[in-house]
Amino acid sequence: MQFSYEVKDSYAEVKGSGRLNMVAAPKLREVVAEVVAAGSSKVVVNLEETVFMDSSGLGALIGCLKAARQAGGDLRISGVQPQVRMVLELTNMDRVLTSYPTAEAAFSDD
Amino acid sequence: MTEMVARRGYRGESVPEAIEAVHTELDSLWEDADFVPEMDRMTFTTAVIEAASNIVQHAEPVAEAPVELGVDISVWSTRLVARVTAFNAKEPFASPPETGLPDDDSESGRGLALIEALVTTVTFERQDATNTWILTRNSTSAA
Repeated sequence: MQFSYEVKDSYAEVKGSGRLNMVAAPKLREVVAEVVAAGSSKVVVNLEETVFMDSSGLGALIGCLKAARQAGGDLRISGVQPQVRMVLELTNMDRVLTSYPTAEAAFSDD
Repeated sequence: MTEMVARRGYRGESVPEAIEAVHTELDSLWEDADFVPEMDRMTFTTAVIEAASNIVQHAEPVAEAPVELGVDISVWSTRLVARVTAFNAKEPFASPPETGLPDDDSESGRGLALIEALVTTVTFERQDATNTWILTRNSTSAA
């Protein structure tokens, strides 16, 4: 899985392309930690190109959410694909990880 | 469940990279069994990857030889079956496995609940130093 990030005016966007499994989960944690350490505590993880997520990937997202909140910000997700949505719903984590259609929409109401 | 339509397998050292190899086998399997509805592919793939990841994360070797991961997935006319195995592994349950979902801020502990939600049956077998989880899902479409 490939990750990239871009710091925008009011948030940072992290993009992940591929499978968010136990191989990719530590990488996501590293990327988000780096983004938060650099001063962006409002983070959007754009999952438009994330075709698969398992409970390891979900655990990494929850860890990243906590890291962003501890830094005074928040973490939101966007572009959620069907398999990822299924995992979020079956684990009831769709209540905790707020999902938006696009990365731009995620912090537009703040 | 009379006729097997397609089958894939994997066996190798129980390391994180093995999960990618298993996922590639699953993708290839669905190409050979394109009648299986997308919902069944999605749910079964997720369950198999969860079971295999559980072995990679938690299985402990019973002796000096490392734990090996084995996955055997078969598509039958109305059923999907996966045997997900830890070879050279200790008995996995020191205490009965926890069921249900953990607290919202927990970063682990959702794998088994997910598997149970995604498949029709989960069976566990242990023989010698081999632990096998057998997952089945009744497919919504006949071949």
